[in-house]
Parts: sequence; structure tokens; C-alpha cells
Amino acid sequence: MLPFLSAIYAGLLLSVFSPASSQDPQPLTRDDFDLLHSAVQPDASELWRQIPWGISLLEGQQRAVEEGKPIFLWAMDGHPLGCT
Amino acid sequence: MLQTDFVPVAIDQAYQRRQKDREGEFYREIALQGPRHDFEGSTTQGFYAATNSGTLLFYNNNRDPDKLADLMVEALEKAASEKKSAVPISMEAPDPQYNPEPPEAGLVVRVHSKILHGYPETKDRWKKIFQEGIGRDNFWITGPEHEELVSGRVPATLQRRMVRFHFVDNTRGEPPMWEPGEIVSLSMELNDGILNGEVELRTAKGDRSYSAQLYGVVETKGEKVTRFDVVARGLFEGHGEYTKGPPPGKFPLAISFSLADGSDIADRIPPQGSRGWVENYLQ
Repeated sequence: MLPFLSAIYAGLLLSVFSPASSQDPQPLTRDDFDLLHSAVQPDASELWRQIPWGISLLEGQQRAVEEGKPIFLWAMDGHPLGCT
Repeated sequence: MLQTDFVPVAIDQAYQRRQKDREGEFYREIALQGPRHDFEGSTTQGFYAATNSGTLLFYNNNRDPDKLADLMVEALEKAASEKKSAVPISMEAPDPQYNPEPPEAGLVVRVHSKILHGYPETKDRWKKIFQEGIGRDNFWITGPEHEELVSGRVPATLQRRMVRFHFVDNTRGEPPMWEPGEIVSLSMELNDGILNGEVELRTAKGDRSYSAQLYGVVETKGEKVTRFDVVARGLFEGHGEYTKGPPPGKFPLAISFSLADGSDIADRIPPQGSRGWVENYLQ
């Protein structure tokens, strides 16, 4: 993106990202919506998302037997792929 | 290594350590060999590696990637010398309490949240990860609610579920959900496919609150919703037991909603707010 356009975009984002005071919340506009909706999306290229995670331990076990591999289990409180 | 040498599986162990079926039994068989095996009383979270027959190769709850990589190399060596042969374990009679399915004829909506700014600057690698993190969850809409949306209405049950379980700051961990009595005000209207609304949520003690505006685009084709893109933006204050360390004072939190298309395996994960009691979530 050209530096000039990039600066405009950054300015727009900053205004969208800065809601008015809690005493006087401003309604969102269509432009706010367009910018915010795309800004609050995860980055699909994140490294951990490139891993072919399964979400069933038994399906994983079946695949592990078939492929002769061990299982790596990421077990969290809250689903690792669905909560943070 | 995770892409090629292991079969990687991600789970919310709050399900597997309790569920009464083969999936739960196999998980507990592995975890029992590690240091955390109070299946009723406390978490068993962490990273586990196990042979396909269930022999534990390592347990670790350290987030240092270099340490984890070393343990994985050792685990591969141990697995190669495993003598025990394994047979595939099939799922029989899955425990219904821990295997909820999305509502019939309903919708699955992806939810993402982000703190827009307000954190003090840091050079700490781990703090920075949390500060820039995006929270994720799924929002389930029931079949009757789906029909109402197609008719141009936003049912009260959908509105309440959306704000109670999804207008939360889950960017640093598991957040507390809102109790019904903590909805101070709530309104959503759908006019010509544009959703407008506002909400105010606050605990009785006043130690946690969120006041937000909503805007969304809802499109339908025939009897189906084909687009449900909604954004909420407002000021959040406070934290829960597992979401400590928010920006000081009130900070801007945005939450986005988009229809799931099933292309991401995470689309199959039940909402965090439905854990163990999906009927309560869906009511």
C-alpha cells in the first residue's frame, strides 16, 4: 500500500478503534463496521493454525495406529482452537 | 514435527477427563500416567505425547517452544522402541453430556474478540502475545431462531445468548460469562437486513462491565440466513479469575461474528458457554 493511503487507513482505524466515552457511546456506522469486522479476524497464516489439528482423541488414535505415529495432545481448560 | 511425525489433537480436557465413554477412558488412561490425575477435582491441562496404544511419552505444561521441541524429539525415540501393539479404538455410545451437536436447522457463527488498545507498552514476549491475542469461540443459533431471523426478527433468546456468552473478554483465557441479572439493558433491531443494537452489561458489584454498540449485516436466501456479519464495539472494564491483566480502567473491546462454513475444524467445537450444560446455553 502507498504510504499516503496507508496513513489514511491507519487514521481511519484509530478513529474506529476509539469509541467515545462510556457516557456517550456513538452508534456504529457502516464504515466503522466494514473496518472493524475485517480488523477483528484471526490471521490465517499463524503458524499454529498450519498444524492439522484433530479435535477427537479417538479419531486421532485411529489415525495414529494407521500411520504408525505417536499422538501429540494439546489439552487445555477451554478448547485450544476455540477459546483464545 | 507436529505436521509430519505426530498425530496432533487439541482438546478441552474439561470434557475428556469427565466423559463416560471410550474417548474419556483413553484420555484418563494417558493422563493417569502423568502428574495430574485428579479427574474430578482439578485441571489436567498440559501437553501430552503418547504412543498410539496409550503409553505416556511425556507430560509438560511449559510454553517454551524449545523445551517442548526437545521433549518431542525424545518422545519419537521412545515411541520407536515401543513394543506394545495398538488396535484402533472405536467410539461406542458417546457420552451425550460431553458430545453436544449444533442445533438442528440452526446456525454456527464464528466469534472473534480483540482489545483495540489500552495496554501499557511492553517488551515482554509473553505479555505481548496476550496483548495482541484474538479470542475465539462459536455461537450457536437454534432452528426456530434461524427461522425468526429469516423473517426479519431478532428473537430475544438469541439476543440474550449472544451477549451473555459472547460479549466477554476471552483474549487472555477463560472468561466469566454474564448472569441473566447482569444484563442492564439490551436491544437489537433488524431493518432491511441491517442489524443495529446496544447493550449494557454490569455485575452487581460493578467490578466488570461492558457497554457496546452493535452493527451488522444479515442476508437471507430462501429459508436460510446466508450472511450474519455483526460487530460490537464498546468499553469493557474488569476481568475474571482466569483473565487477569487487562488494560487499566475501561478499554475498547470489539467482537465480530461471521457465519461458519464448516471449512475450519474449529467450527465443530461447542461454545465455551455450553460446557457441560448445553441446555442452559440454548435456553
